[in-house]
Amino acid sequence: MEFDGAFELENTTVEEVWLALSDPVLIRDSLPGCEFLIEVDDGDVDFEEQKAAAAERDAEPTGDPEVIAQRAFEEGKRYAALIEVSVGSVNPQFQTTVTIDSREFPEMSASGEGEASGSSFELSSGMELEETENGVTVEWWASTEVFGRIAQMGQRMINPVANRVVKRFFERIQERLEELTLQTDGAESMVDEESDSQGLSQRIRDKIGI
Amino acid sequence: MSIETIEAEEIDVEEVLGSAIERREDPELVTGEGVYTDDVQDPELAHMAVLRSQYGHAEIDGIDTSEAEAMDGVIGVYTAEDIDEAGTPGDLPVGWLLPDLKTPSHPILAGDRARYQGDGVAVVVAEERYLAHDALDRIDVDYERLDAVVDPKAAVEADAPQLHDWSEDPTDTDVRDDEDIERVPPNQAFDWEIGDSEATDEAFENAAHTVEVDLENQRLIPNAMEPRATVAEYKPGTGEVEVQMTSQNPHLHRQLMSAVLDVPEHKLHIVAPEVGGGFGSKIHHYPDEALTCWCAMQLERPVKWQATRSETYLTDAHGRDHVTHAELAMDDAGTITGMRVTTYAGMGAYLSTFAPSIPTYLYGTLLSGQYDIPAIHCNVIGSFTNGAPVDAYRGAGRPEALYVVERLVTLGAREMGMDPAAFRRQNFIPEDDFPHETPVAVVYDSGDYEPALDAALEMVEYEELRERQAELREEDRYLGIGFSSYIEACGLAPSELAGQLGAQAGLWESGLVRVHPSGTVTAFCGTSGHGQGHETTYAQIVSDELGVPYEDIEIVEGDTDEIPQGMGTYGSRSAAVGGSALATSSQKVVDKARTIAAHLLETGEEDLEFENGEFNVAGAPERSMTIQEVAQQAYLAHNIPEGVEPGLEETSFYDPENFTFPFGTHVAVVEVDPESGEIEFHQYAAVDDVGNQINPKIVEGQIHGGIAQGIGQALYEGAVYDDNGTLLTGSMQDYAVPKAEHVPNMETDATVTPAPHNPLGVKGVGEAGTIASPQAVVNAVTDALQPFDIDHIDMPLTEEKVWRAVNGSEEGS
Amino acid sequence: MEHDITLTVNDTEHEIAVEPRTLLVHTLRDALGYTGANVGCESSLCGACTVTMDGDAVKSCTVLAVQADGTEIETVEGLAEDGDFHPIQEGFRKEHGLQCGYCTPGMMMTARELLEDNPDPDEAEIREAIEGNLCRCTGYQNIVNAVEFAADRMETDAANRDIAADGGTDRTTDTVEDE
Repeated sequence: MEFDGAFELENTTVEEVWLALSDPVLIRDSLPGCEFLIEVDDGDVDFEEQKAAAAERDAEPTGDPEVIAQRAFEEGKRYAALIEVSVGSVNPQFQTTVTIDSREFPEMSASGEGEASGSSFELSSGMELEETENGVTVEWWASTEVFGRIAQMGQRMINPVANRVVKRFFERIQERLEELTLQTDGAESMVDEESDSQGLSQRIRDKIGI
Repeated sequence: MSIETIEAEEIDVEEVLGSAIERREDPELVTGEGVYTDDVQDPELAHMAVLRSQYGHAEIDGIDTSEAEAMDGVIGVYTAEDIDEAGTPGDLPVGWLLPDLKTPSHPILAGDRARYQGDGVAVVVAEERYLAHDALDRIDVDYERLDAVVDPKAAVEADAPQLHDWSEDPTDTDVRDDEDIERVPPNQAFDWEIGDSEATDEAFENAAHTVEVDLENQRLIPNAMEPRATVAEYKPGTGEVEVQMTSQNPHLHRQLMSAVLDVPEHKLHIVAPEVGGGFGSKIHHYPDEALTCWCAMQLERPVKWQATRSETYLTDAHGRDHVTHAELAMDDAGTITGMRVTTYAGMGAYLSTFAPSIPTYLYGTLLSGQYDIPAIHCNVIGSFTNGAPVDAYRGAGRPEALYVVERLVTLGAREMGMDPAAFRRQNFIPEDDFPHETPVAVVYDSGDYEPALDAALEMVEYEELRERQAELREEDRYLGIGFSSYIEACGLAPSELAGQLGAQAGLWESGLVRVHPSGTVTAFCGTSGHGQGHETTYAQIVSDELGVPYEDIEIVEGDTDEIPQGMGTYGSRSAAVGGSALATSSQKVVDKARTIAAHLLETGEEDLEFENGEFNVAGAPERSMTIQEVAQQAYLAHNIPEGVEPGLEETSFYDPENFTFPFGTHVAVVEVDPESGEIEFHQYAAVDDVGNQINPKIVEGQIHGGIAQGIGQALYEGAVYDDNGTLLTGSMQDYAVPKAEHVPNMETDATVTPAPHNPLGVKGVGEAGTIASPQAVVNAVTDALQPFDIDHIDMPLTEEKVWRAVNGSEEGS
Repeated sequence: MEHDITLTVNDTEHEIAVEPRTLLVHTLRDALGYTGANVGCESSLCGACTVTMDGDAVKSCTVLAVQADGTEIETVEGLAEDGDFHPIQEGFRKEHGLQCGYCTPGMMMTARELLEDNPDPDEAEIREAIEGNLCRCTGYQNIVNAVEFAADRMETDAANRDIAADGGTDRTTDTVEDE
């Protein structure tokens, strides 16, 4: 199944959105049903273990670019997430792994797969940011293959669910961006001399790929 | 007008045959007393649930059952490995072989690879129903997903993902040893043909007119209202396995399951309790029923398995799934001179029990329809696809054939600028040409097609209707009239022929008629009704033959311990074959009774007349004995003729000479709204010739239900798999089983051309409606859309498809 | 974690412990032995499990047993009275409104609710009323006829009861003769 769309984020810049979307913690908090999202090695992921570990780590979303830069998504790295999706009467919890395939400002793409009892999916997705008059447009696309119990319900159920998830995700990103903008301004004094008007040092820019 | 039923008490034996007696099955079914398989209770009962592959095609790299096994209340968790370790053969057999047929192994649990979504991977047995399903979620299967193929035609293309690895399949020695194996396309199950290819090509070369059509006969899901179920109990003391299951043919299931489980046939006792519909889906031997028995044997506990509706969608054998190119040749007068058909038939992931016979001998052999066609050639390529196995579903091959024939004939009439009824009439096999041998290897023993067409034309007031159609078109309203002059071949026979064609079973039926000393009767038949009213109709037959009151006769079906042998109920065979077996046994009973009566009445057998249950000495009516009196004497055996054994019961194994060939004409009248694509029925008229009717009300019910199922195919139903082999129509919400508002009122009428070769003159009726109605509807819709120049739309004719066809969208499919 | 509930089924009171997730249909069938209501789809689409709960037809496969606590349930087993068929049962038999019988208990309970609300439904109303009850055997036509038969019979029975109550006045006698 193919999905795509565009989402308008207001009063922000491409750099800010890029920064926000680079932060696994912010993504975790914005993605409906996402219990944790952390970097993992190749090989089998023990989700029970990771869930416990993630609970201990207790990472908070932040507007501090320094912190974000430390944990930002990196091309070629693999991440694991536990995501619950409600489709009709079933609420499978998907053990999901995603690899960042490419990350070149202002575009990124990722692919992965998720497994739940009796259902699974495969996903490749991407997005591109574009400056507009009022802010930023995020153009996104996703191509998924869905299997098992969930797929059996057909597009009747899956399309609305996918649209709902994406809409909520970007709404939350918008909310976070408003907070993030403030914090970025506040953090300006803490960053290097060569910081530009967005308050981001070249070191951080290098790290998050802007 | 609907036929009025008659109460059984009001019936005399003289008129019992042919009367619309109320069904004797009904009292227990309308009160909830009837026992279906899931109604069977036992305090010791454990429940089985099946973990099914979520992928259409995947390697299974490992299965971890430890968590499920550790759950409280879970009694056992089993995989293919356990079946192997127990030494159980566990491989489902194919009941019909074709030349060069590939018969890949079909294990009752998938071991290394799952080949369709729903393929069983593991089973759980637990103390309680819900718990068994909970435990399925705790089994961890390590799948490696593979590419899938779901289209029957794409499956035989060279680059298609291959389902079965022939060269490594040790059970498939035929294929392994065949040096030509490389030349066979991947997934090709068989390449079969019938008819004279050269003569047909010649007919097309010489044709003045030809028409052709590409059509799909879409995959259907049977949807009997009762999902499949089994309750099995093992008796360690005797080694017997008692099975109650949703079966259309308990004896056949016993025979097959005996091999699958390696349990001697005489130790397997299979009972079909009340069965909530079948439509073919309960003929076949599936893995689940055998697994239930296997678990019961392992655990020495009674085990119940009840499929959920989702499981029936995924695993009940589906029907149809043909992709066809068909052509018709005509001379310049509109006389049909040839027909050429190529069909790709999807078999699904494995060969189901009778799968190979359906798109071949039950399809290709009916392509002559009601028409005198000098040359026909048909090539069918069967292919394995990543879907549920496809097998007999109400009609089984014959609806597919008649859909091709009646679509072609409708297009032929259009090409010739002829009225479709007149075109049909011109090409009918004439009434004086029976028996008629067709170019596709069958001999129609009887037929008289024009009276049925005439009756149908009269029912719809055809001439006025065409005028009305023309008037409405002036108002931009689109009325369409669709014909289906169909034939069917049912009661597949005789056994010898079936054997030559590849059947691994005989096609006779057994009937035992036992007259008790008191004069009441119990009759046993190897068919196994599941809604058809056999207890009623068979009692009518026996009552008529023996002259014993209808109410004094009990009918027993569906129990392998009680009934001598049996082949079951499918293919519209029960009345023609099972009924004939009971009639034959009854006649044998009368013959023996006559011998005893002649002895007691001190007269010659030839001087005895038998009427309404009484033997009279010709010319001396005061010297008489009733059959009940004879029965009493037969068991007393104080004075029976020398050489005659005591008792009064007879068995026969009736093997018919031929199929029976019901036929008829159905006419659908619809209005199509091109703005919305909506189709509205104005009328549905059906004239069917099913030979003599034992109970006209039951015949009417079979016709109604059959038509509704065919309308379901024409307008609503269709199984859809995505490219990965995931079933997208896996629930009643996504697969439209027709509701009351979807089915029009049906007007039925009949002509009667008795079957010449069976003792009752009956033919089959169970599938007639389903064979007839799809093309009547499609022909009506395309007739309505003539002004838009639309010749064909593939079923189901959903509003969207019709709208797209009218509005010329390229996305229309 | 079982809950004690009370169900009155066909006028018989039952006290029973059920799990919170147990469906009414399984409680009726497996625990209490009322196997008349059948399970056809577990998703309230086919209607084979229809029973009445406090007079309303419900799909017992999507009602939890705990939700039915304290209610009056009627199943097909309660339709006949004193060994006499209910007119709906009579209608299904007379009009050949059933074949395999699996949908029939649910279909009849829905029909009964219809006839209580609308004693003289026309064909379209009957078809609409039973749209939540699927039948794969009959093509519905004889089910429609069966419900019409029942409606007529119930009207006649009511008229007969009136005669008995009124001592047979001319007016009601006429009504009966019209039948």
